[in-house]
Amino acid sequence: MNDSTPDRNYWRSLEQLAGSDEYRRFAEAEFPAEADQSADAVSRRRFLQLMGASVALAGLTGCRWPQEKIVPFAARPEGVTPGTTRRFATSMELAGAVSPLLVTSYDGRPIKVEGNPDHPLSRGAANLFAQAGLLELYDPDRSRKPRRREGGAAADRGWDEALAGIAGRFEDARADRGRGLAVLTESSSSPTTARLRARLRRELPEVFWCEYEPLSRDEEREGLRAACGRPLLPRPRLADARTIFCLDADLLGDHPAALRNARDFAEGRRAEQGWMNRLYAVESTFSLTGAMADHRWAAAWSAMPRLALHLAACLFVECGVVLPQGAAALRPLLETAAHDPGRPDWLPAAARDLAAHRGRCLIAAGARQPAWVHALVHLCNDALGNVGRTVDYAEDPDAGRPAHAEALADLAARLRDGRVETLLVLGGNPAAPFSARLGAYDDETSRHCRWHLPRAHFLESWADVRDADGRYGVTQPLIAPLHGGLTPAEALGLLLDGERRSAHDLVRETARGLLGDGPGFAGAWRRLLHDGFAVVGEDLGVVPALAGRSLTAAVREGAAAAAPGLGPDSLEIVFTPDPSLLDGRFANNAWLQELPDAMTKLAWDNAALVAPATADALGLAHGDVVTLTLDGRTLEAPVYLLPGQAPWSVALSLGHGRSAAGKVGNGTGCDAYRLRTTAAFAGATALGVTRTGRRRELATTQDHFAMDKVGDREREARSRTLVMEGDLAEWRRDPGFAEHRQHHPELKSLWKERDYAGHKWGMTVDLNSCIGCNACIVACQAENNIPVVGKKQVNEGREMHWLRLDRYFQGDPAEPRVVQQPVACVHCELAPCEQVCPVGATMHSEEGLNMMAYNRCVGTRYCSNNCPYKVRRFNFFNYNKDPDPLRDLMHNPEVTLRARGVMEKCTYCVQRIESAKIAAKNEGRPLRDGEITTACQQTCPTQAIVFGDLNDPDSRVAGLRADDRAYAMLAEMNLKPRTAYLARLRNPNPELAETSGHEAGHAAH
Amino acid sequence: MKLGTLLTRDEIDNTIHEPSRPQTLITGGHDFTSLTDAVCGLVEKPRPPRAWYVAITFTGGLTLMMFAMIGYLIITGVGVWGVNNPVGWGWAIVNFVFWVGIGHAGTLISAILFLLRQKWRTSINRFAEAMTIFAVVCAGVFPGIHVGRVWVVWWLFPLPNYQGMWPNFRSPLLWDVFAVGTYAMVSLMFWYTGMLPDLATLRDRATTRMRRLLYGFFALGWRGSNRHWHRYEKAYLLLAGLATPLVLSVHSVVSFDFATSQIPGWHTTIFPPYFVAGAIFSGFAMVMTLIIPARQLFGLKNFVTLYHLETMAKIILATGTMVGYAYATEFFIAWYGGNPAEQFAFINRAFGPYVWAYWIMVGCNVLAPQFFWFKKLRTNLWALMILCVLVNIGMWFERFVITVTSLSRDFLPATWAYYRPTPIDIATFVGSFGLFLTLFLLFVRYLPMVAMAEVKTVMPQKHWDDRVSRPVGDYHGDVPRDGSGGRRGREDHGEEH
Repeated sequence: MNDSTPDRNYWRSLEQLAGSDEYRRFAEAEFPAEADQSADAVSRRRFLQLMGASVALAGLTGCRWPQEKIVPFAARPEGVTPGTTRRFATSMELAGAVSPLLVTSYDGRPIKVEGNPDHPLSRGAANLFAQAGLLELYDPDRSRKPRRREGGAAADRGWDEALAGIAGRFEDARADRGRGLAVLTESSSSPTTARLRARLRRELPEVFWCEYEPLSRDEEREGLRAACGRPLLPRPRLADARTIFCLDADLLGDHPAALRNARDFAEGRRAEQGWMNRLYAVESTFSLTGAMADHRWAAAWSAMPRLALHLAACLFVECGVVLPQGAAALRPLLETAAHDPGRPDWLPAAARDLAAHRGRCLIAAGARQPAWVHALVHLCNDALGNVGRTVDYAEDPDAGRPAHAEALADLAARLRDGRVETLLVLGGNPAAPFSARLGAYDDETSRHCRWHLPRAHFLESWADVRDADGRYGVTQPLIAPLHGGLTPAEALGLLLDGERRSAHDLVRETARGLLGDGPGFAGAWRRLLHDGFAVVGEDLGVVPALAGRSLTAAVREGAAAAAPGLGPDSLEIVFTPDPSLLDGRFANNAWLQELPDAMTKLAWDNAALVAPATADALGLAHGDVVTLTLDGRTLEAPVYLLPGQAPWSVALSLGHGRSAAGKVGNGTGCDAYRLRTTAAFAGATALGVTRTGRRRELATTQDHFAMDKVGDREREARSRTLVMEGDLAEWRRDPGFAEHRQHHPELKSLWKERDYAGHKWGMTVDLNSCIGCNACIVACQAENNIPVVGKKQVNEGREMHWLRLDRYFQGDPAEPRVVQQPVACVHCELAPCEQVCPVGATMHSEEGLNMMAYNRCVGTRYCSNNCPYKVRRFNFFNYNKDPDPLRDLMHNPEVTLRARGVMEKCTYCVQRIESAKIAAKNEGRPLRDGEITTACQQTCPTQAIVFGDLNDPDSRVAGLRADDRAYAMLAEMNLKPRTAYLARLRNPNPELAETSGHEAGHAAH
Repeated sequence: MKLGTLLTRDEIDNTIHEPSRPQTLITGGHDFTSLTDAVCGLVEKPRPPRAWYVAITFTGGLTLMMFAMIGYLIITGVGVWGVNNPVGWGWAIVNFVFWVGIGHAGTLISAILFLLRQKWRTSINRFAEAMTIFAVVCAGVFPGIHVGRVWVVWWLFPLPNYQGMWPNFRSPLLWDVFAVGTYAMVSLMFWYTGMLPDLATLRDRATTRMRRLLYGFFALGWRGSNRHWHRYEKAYLLLAGLATPLVLSVHSVVSFDFATSQIPGWHTTIFPPYFVAGAIFSGFAMVMTLIIPARQLFGLKNFVTLYHLETMAKIILATGTMVGYAYATEFFIAWYGGNPAEQFAFINRAFGPYVWAYWIMVGCNVLAPQFFWFKKLRTNLWALMILCVLVNIGMWFERFVITVTSLSRDFLPATWAYYRPTPIDIATFVGSFGLFLTLFLLFVRYLPMVAMAEVKTVMPQKHWDDRVSRPVGDYHGDVPRDGSGGRRGREDHGEEH
C-alpha cells in the first residue's frame, strides 16, 4: 500500500480492452442474442461465453472514476510494473461494523484481502467475511443488469431505462415531500449515508426511513438508553480486564469489534507478563468465547436474565459493591434474588472474583439478551468502576432511530395499510406497490420488488465508513464494477437529486466536510486514500451518567417476568448468527459455506444443536430430522448433538436454507427465519420438537460428538496429549510442563540427519492465543488457490483446506471443556511422507521445507497414509475443472493450480518466502525477521502464529521455540516437526476447583 | 447325484493311508492312454458344452463391467471410489493384496512341493499355476489404476530419461513393483515350461490345421527326445528353485508396504510371515473352490482324487491356524509392546466401528478351518466347498481390516473418518472375479487342465519296464492285472522316458 499514490491506472487494462468502439461492436455482434437473457437459463458453455464477454464489457458500464477518458497503455504508466502486486487500503462495512483492509491487486485485479496493519482496529487482521468478500466479487451469480418484474415476469433492462423509471417515481415522491416513500436500509456507519439521510429527512420530511438488521444489537442500545437516558454503543476494552464475565456474550466471535477484542483478550492471556486474565462464560450454545473461557457454564438463553439478576445480587448484596445512589430502589429486588434457591452454586465465587478486580473487570451481556439485562449489566459495570476503563461507550450516530425490530414492524404495518407507495430497499424483504431493490444478487427480496438494481461490490465501490472509535475510513474501488452496479449512496443521491451522481463525488464531498475544504484537501484526500483512514475529530467515547429512574423501572419490569420453565414439551430455541454466513448474506460464498463451524465442524449445513442429555430424553439421535414447531410455524431440521449445549435449549443458526441465493447457496441447511418473527427475535420458548423418522447425513470435517465408546474414550485421552493444556499454577510450578508430560524413550534417528546451514524455517502456534476463529483457514484458501469441493465431497472427507482446526471436547458432555488446535503441514525434518513416495515427488529443501512437486506426483496417496498428522490433501477429482474466466481472475498467480490426481499440502507459503528472499537479494541485504509472514500468520487476530528463521537466534520464532511452553506434537515419533505448539494455559478460579488439566493429562498416559 | 457319495464301486477310497501300501494317487484304473484321452478330450471336443458358453458369457460380462468401471475411473478421477482423506487406500489395495495372495498357492504347489517331492501335487499343479497367473493378472490391474494419474504410472519404473527422473528406491511401493513384476514373469515362465510336453501332445493329436499350427507354435518344437526331456527337467528344476523364494518374498514385500510405514496396525514386524501364511491359506482355498466344481464337471475325479482334496484341506487347516496364531500374536505384542497408539489400533479393530469386519475375518479364517480336524468334513465335498469359500471371504476381509481400519483411525482423532466403498468399488472388484473366471474358462477349454506328463510319473505304469528295481519312495502301486494299460501308454509322446 505504500506505493499507492498514483493509484489511478490499476484498472486501465480493462478500459483498454473495452474502450474502443471496434471492440464494443465486436462484442455485441459476437453475443447478440444472449446478451439480454437471464443467466439462469443458459447452458454452461453459453454461460462461459457470456462471462468472457461480460468481463470485457464490464468497463463499458458503471465507470465512476472522475476521469472518464479512456486511454490505452501506449507506454507503461509510471509506477506500475506489470506482473507485480500492488496494495490499496480500503474499508469494508458489515452491518455497521467496519473492517479496515489492505487489498492486494495483481495487474488490476484484486487477489487477496488482508487487514490494514496501520489501523488500530485491525493491525493486519481481517475477519472471514472481509477475506471471503473477494470470492463474492468474482461470483458469477451476482446480478449483472437491472431487472424489472411485473406480474410474475422478469426482464433485464438497460441501466438508462432502469434509472429513468426509478427516477421518475422518485420525482413524484419528491414532489409530495416524500409521502408514500419508504427507504429500507441496512445499518451503516457511512458519513456520506448519514449526510444524505439527514438531507432526506430535511428535504422530504414525510419519508419513512427504516433501518433494519436481522442480527440487530439494538437490545444493547435500548438497554443503555434505559440505563443512561440515551442510546449508546458499549465498546469493551479487554486489554486491561483481569476478570471478564460474559453472559451469553460472544465477545470474540460475533461481536462487531471481535478482532480487537480477540487481540486484547490474547494480550491478557500472556502469563509471561506476570498476570493473566480470567474469563467466565455462561451461554446456551458453544461460542468461541465459551471455548476460550476458564470457566464456562451452559445455561438456557431464557434463564440468562435471571442469572444476571443473581449476579447483581451477589455483587451488591454479598460482595459489598456499593449500589449507586440512583439505583438504590433496586435493593429489595436484589435482596430477594440473593436468597433465590435457584441461584447456581458457582456464581458467588465468580462474583467475588469480579468484586476483587474493581475497575479491572468487565461484565458483558450478549446481543440476544433483553434490554433490561444490558441496563443491569451496565449498572454492575458502573458500580465496579469499569466504565471508562474496561468499557466505554460511543454515541449512536443516528440516536433518533427506532430499534430495528420496531422499525421493521412499523414498516410492515405501513405496507399493510397501503401508506407506502414507493419503497427503496437497500437490504430487507417486504412488498410495496412500487419497489426498487439494490442488491448484489437477484435474490428472494429482489423477486418481490418491481426493480432490481445490481449493487456494486465493496471492492468496486466508493464509500466511506466511521469505525467504532470514530475514525473516518474510505472504501475505494480496486477494480471497475465487473457488472456495473450502484452503491447505496448513489441510490440515495438518485432519490434526492433525481440524477445519478457518482459515489466518488458523494464521498469526496463528505470528506471535504470532514477533512476541511481548504487548500490542503487534495493532500489530505490522497493521504486518506493511501492510509485508508484518517483520524477526524475526537474519539466519540463517553462515560455516561446513570439515569436511575428509567434504569430501575426497566430492571424491575424485566425482573418481574418469571423465567419460563423448560422441559421436554417446552424447549427453547435460540437463533444464532451463522459463524460463516452471518445472517445469510454470505450464503452464496463457497469459501464460507465450506468453512467448518468452529464447534460443530459442520460445513454447508446448519442443524438444530441439542445437548446429548436432552437428545437422550427426547429420544433423538445425531442426524435425526425433527420438526420444530413454534407458534404454529414449523421447520424441519436435522439434529446435531453438541456437548455443552444448555439443557432443553435448541440453537439454530440463521442464514441457511435460502432459495434464491445463487448456485452455491441455494438449498443448503434449513431456513431458521421461518420460525423467527420480530416477537421471537433472539429466541423463544415453547418450542415443540417432534421426530419425523427420517435421518440426514450432516457434512462435518471432523467426527462429531456421537461416536462409539472405544473411539470416544481414546479421542478424549489422546486429545490431552496432543493439545497440551495446564493450569496457570502448574505452569508457574513447572513452566516446561508440556514437554515433561511427553513420556517416551530416548529418540534416535534411523536416518542421517541434515544440518541446515542457511535458513531454517519454522513456525510456532500459541494455543494459549488461538481462539479458533477460522480466519487463518480463509486466508490460506485465498492465498494458495485452494479449491472448494462442495458438500458431497466434504461429507466423504475430501475437503481441501491445507490448514484445519482440530477441536476436542473433554470431560462431562453437559459441561465440557473444549480445546482447539490449528494443524497444517508441520514440515518434519524426518518426514515420513518423503520416504514412501515411489517417485520422489515430495522432497526436502535445503531450508527444511517439505515440498511437493505437483508435476511429479502420480497420486499413490501413500504419503498421506504415512503422515501421522494427516495434513495432506488429495485431488480426488479435478476440482479446478470449471474454467470460469471470472473466477480465474481471483487466483493468486504465484501459486500453481493443482490438477486432478495429485497431492498437495501446506507449503509454509513458499511463494511468500521466495519473494521476500528475492527482494532482500535485490536490495543486497539479509532477510529481516518478520519480513516473511505466512497467510495464516498475517491474518491471525491474536498473533498466535509466528513464522521465521530458526537459525536466526534473534528471530521471534526462535525465541518462542525456546519458550518453556513449546512442544512438538507426537514428539515420541521423532519426526522433528518444524511447527511447534505452545501449550495452552487455563486460569481457573481456585475457589471453583475442578479436575486439573495436569492430573487429567497424566492419567492419559 | 449326491456329491458327497460320488465314489463309484470301481474307485478306491484313496484317502485311507496304509503304511504298507503305496499311496494311490490316480484312481479309476486309468492307464496312460486313458489319462491322455481324458485330459485331451476336454480340449479336443469340437464344441464346448453349453454350460461353458453360458458361463463365459456371464464372466465376460463381468469383465467388461470391470473395464467400464476402470474407464469411468480414469476419465473422472479416483474420487469415484470411497477413498477419503485418512483412508487413502481402499478396496483397490485390498483387492490387490487379496489377488496376489491367491496366487501364492499355485507357486507353492508347483515349486515348493516339487522340490519337496510331494508327488500328489502333479494332479493339481497345472490348475494351481493357472490360477496363480490369472490371480496375478487381476492383482496387477489394481495398483496401476489406483493412482491419481494413471497416465504417468510408468514413472514408477527406473527408465533412464532426459529429464533425469528416477524413482525413489526407499519407497516400499517401488519394491512392490519389482516383486510383483518378477513374480508374474517367473510364474508365467514356470507354467509355460511345464506345459510344453502337454502342448506337444495336443499338437500331435490335433485334427485341424489351426490346432496343429497353434499348439505346434507354442510347443516350441518339442519332440520328446531324451535331450529335450533332459533340458526340460533341468529347466523345470531351476525354475522351481527360482520360484521358491518368490513364494516367500512377494508377499513379504507386499507386506512391507504396510509394515515399514508408521500407521499403528501396519507398523509391525510380524507382517511378512503372517502375510505369507495368509497367502498360502487363501491360495489353497481358492484352488479348492475352483477344482471341486471342475473335477465334477470335467470328469477329473480320478486324477484329482479325494486324497488330493483332503491333503489340501490339511494344509488349509495348518495355515489357517497359523493365521489365527498371528492374529493372537498381534494383540499380544500390542499389549506387550506398550505403545498406546498400537494398543488402540487393535482394540479399535476388534471393538471399533469396523467390529463386523474384524469378526467376519476371525470367523472365516480362524474358526472355519477348524472343521478340517474332522476327516469326515475333509472328505465331504460340500463341506470342503463351503468352508473354502468362507476362507476366501475371510481372507479378503483380513486385507480390508488391515488396510482400512488402521487408516481410518490413526494418530490424531480429529482426522478419523469412516470409509465406505462406492458402487464403483464393488463393481470393479466383482468385475475382477469376472476377469479371473473368464481366463479360467478359456484355460479349461484350450489348455490341458492336468499336467499329463507329470501325472504319468506317479502312475504305476511308469515302472512297467522296471519291475525289479523300484526306487524307495518312488513306487506308485502295481499296474492293474488286465495288463492292457502300459503298452499303449508308451506310444504317448508325453511318456517318452
